Amino acid sequence: MTDGSEPAAAPLLEARGVKKYFGAITALNGVSFHIAPGEALGVVGDNGAGKSTLMKVLSGLYTPSEGELYFAGSPVKFHSPRDARKMGIEMVYQDFALAGNMPIYENIYLGREPGRKFAGLTIIDRDLARRMAAEHLDKLKIHVKSIDQNVEELSGGQRQAVAIARATAFDAKVVIMDEPTAALAIKEVGKVLDLIKSLKAHGVAVIVISHRMDDIFYCCDRVMALYQGANFADAPLKDTNRNEVIGWIMGTKGHTQSFAHDRVQH
Amino acid sequence: MKKLILAGAALALMTSTALADKFLLDMKGPGAGNPFWAAVEAGAMEKGKELGVEVMVMSPPTESDVAAQIAQIEDMIAQGLDGIALAPTDPNALAPVVDAAKAAGIPVVFVDTKGTNEGVTFIGTNNEVGAKLAADYICGKIEKGSEVAILQGIITQSTGQARASGSKAGLEACGMKVVAEQTGEWDRAKGQAAMENIITGNPNIKAVFASNDNMALGAVEALKSAGKLADVMVVGFDANPDAAASVLAGEMTATVAQAPKNMGAFGIQALVDLKAGKTIDPVIDTGTVLVDKSNAEQYK
Amino acid sequence: MLGNSPRLSSFLEHYGIVVIVVVMMALLYATRPDVFMSLANLTNIIKQNATLALLALGMFVVIVTAGIDLSVGSVMALGMMCLAVAAKAGVPWPIVVLIGPLVGITAGLVNGLGLTVLKLPHPFIMTLGTLNIARGLSSLITEGAPVSGLGREVRYLGQANYDFGIFPPPTGLPASLFVVIISAVGMWFFLNRTSMGRHIFAIGGNTHAARVSGINVDRVLVYVYAISGFFAGLGGLLLAGRTDSGFPLAGQNAELDAIAAVIIGGASFFGGRGTVLGVMAGVLIMGLMRNGLNLNNVSPFWQQILIGLVIIAAVYIDVLRRHAAVRR
Repeated sequence: MTDGSEPAAAPLLEARGVKKYFGAITALNGVSFHIAPGEALGVVGDNGAGKSTLMKVLSGLYTPSEGELYFAGSPVKFHSPRDARKMGIEMVYQDFALAGNMPIYENIYLGREPGRKFAGLTIIDRDLARRMAAEHLDKLKIHVKSIDQNVEELSGGQRQAVAIARATAFDAKVVIMDEPTAALAIKEVGKVLDLIKSLKAHGVAVIVISHRMDDIFYCCDRVMALYQGANFADAPLKDTNRNEVIGWIMGTKGHTQSFAHDRVQH
Repeated sequence: MKKLILAGAALALMTSTALADKFLLDMKGPGAGNPFWAAVEAGAMEKGKELGVEVMVMSPPTESDVAAQIAQIEDMIAQGLDGIALAPTDPNALAPVVDAAKAAGIPVVFVDTKGTNEGVTFIGTNNEVGAKLAADYICGKIEKGSEVAILQGIITQSTGQARASGSKAGLEACGMKVVAEQTGEWDRAKGQAAMENIITGNPNIKAVFASNDNMALGAVEALKSAGKLADVMVVGFDANPDAAASVLAGEMTATVAQAPKNMGAFGIQALVDLKAGKTIDPVIDTGTVLVDKSNAEQYK
Repeated sequence: MLGNSPRLSSFLEHYGIVVIVVVMMALLYATRPDVFMSLANLTNIIKQNATLALLALGMFVVIVTAGIDLSVGSVMALGMMCLAVAAKAGVPWPIVVLIGPLVGITAGLVNGLGLTVLKLPHPFIMTLGTLNIARGLSSLITEGAPVSGLGREVRYLGQANYDFGIFPPPTGLPASLFVVIISAVGMWFFLNRTSMGRHIFAIGGNTHAARVSGINVDRVLVYVYAISGFFAGLGGLLLAGRTDSGFPLAGQNAELDAIAAVIIGGASFFGGRGTVLGVMAGVLIMGLMRNGLNLNNVSPFWQQILIGLVIIAAVYIDVLRRHAAVRR
């Protein structure tokens, strides 16, 4: 089952044999990974399985202890999230990583403000930043009262939308989403998942880390499981089912019997 | 074990008798660079040489570092010595450690600043007398009934209090009107600010007594920028080199000199006398001198 | 009630602090109508608070990042001593006037690098260290002695006064006022219109967000402490000019006044919040209070108590205001 799925197209981002040590602890032990343009990949695994570490390697926050990354077929090395962002790899954090004390439009362009360079400083073109932010939010069909609103005044779902807007503001190729629905009210979950689908439709590769099978089965094409820092299983969604995936998270294969929460749902 | 202690005690006895008597001069601030404390230090060292005793000089890093001074003296008491001449940074705070020294049989005298402990001799300037000297000088130079001001030091300190009350009593005794008393906390910039406020609120003042020269020099700056230096006479206290230069330049009119060298010398003499079992006066005045243009040169 | 009108409450949120300044001025005018509004007194208030204003501007940038710079008072004294000694040694004045700010920037870089390279857990610790080091160095340079007589050009920014032909001498607008205005406007532009300024706010709002947005947080922090040091050094130049002297005990506890002015001005100790206008108002509130109490011959002990109460009251008002804002 591990190699049961061939990539639909040439991989856009690929990792081969990635290992990551923290002192004596091995967080990743030779993990391989690939994703194609326009693909939505669900990544599952128990706490400590290595999902977050792998995502931090892919987004440039950690450098791998061993192993290589390839972007569009050529080897790449990321020294910081900045390097990864230059390639179009963006991360949306579980806590959104937004500055609550600043307005929506500034959060979208934080670290990449448009404007004139002058003596090592960028003098921000605020009108341009506002206009670009408004247009981008429109394109993603995200509605806010005003782009000048401070992020701390927004609901969880709105913040997630701003975080996704920031991730996609500059021609993103790969968007990594860490538990995108964990901090949301139930009524906001659907909107965020639809947003993921629309990114996919724009040709963006989306990686979704989630504990919620509903999320993965709603918006992903393929699911990959990590167990104790190594690849455990990988399959197109059409070839598997919730119970099997839940079994992977717990480190068992060929699980077909139904679980308690399944029975409740049906 | 007992033997060891005995041997140690014998050794301690031997070393302490083998050397000359050891006295500590603990000043408020470092002598190096500060002419006042340098003079106190010099007076003590000379007297020590003359009498053939060892004089150690210490001070906290700044005059406000009370805790450091207490710690120094505690350490010295623990080491053992024959007497302490102390200029307390804060008399109340230093009182317990002075009591501890006395309880250990170590004679103590205060120099420069009077402490609060009963029965400890004070050797220093009578600040009230010195401030009155300045006040009398002002009285002799300006018309009776003129408005005058006082820049106080930190008035929780006895020196600050004595200079403030001595000058006020002196100025009022000769019929001056003290219209403002403000603190400049011994600081030049704060003295300058206080003086600016005083001349704004009291444009008619004719003289100001500043409780130290730093504040007096600040007052001169304030008067200069207000264009009033010619109308207001500035008298300071301490006769530091900057003040002496200012007096010679005709900016400050006068200042009051203490005799810091006497403090050091009299302090060591008093400790030697106490060690020899003599009784000494409870207060020993080291004297003050008025410094104006005629004698400022020697304080530069 | 107050909170019911969104426009009024938004106005108070942005300019409430200015209202407090105006009310204080009215009160002072009521107690000493003859003196308070006199040109001489207003000139005094400006001259006496110029250095505090500069220190507060530097402290503000640091506090926006949720940091603190305890070293500003000592660094100011160090800058003052260095430039005074240089002036006395006959160094040409165009170099002397640069020495204060340069010493400040150097001390700030040490703070910033100590924080980011040594990874000391909190700026409190690094700047507490430099507070002591800078104070010790200032005393060491001349072994504690003050240095007077700096020359007209060196004193210019701290002492010059423009009467513009309309103010009767000795009143007028002090050069230090223009230094403060230029600094404040420059700071406002830097913080609100440049990328690094916005990054400083982002770091204060959410350091993690700033870091993952590709902002080099450590580098920005080093700049922030260098800016604070620069203003401390510039403050030293002004104070040296004003007093015609460098003295090693200058600016003792000035860091606490600067922190108080920033906090009274509505900046948050937890970072990310505050305005330059608020900081300037905070400086004025402290200055007006001291001036008013001096003019009314109130004892310095009461002044301390009142300043303490104002710090607490100002922050409490801020807490209430924010509470109202959240409910809205």
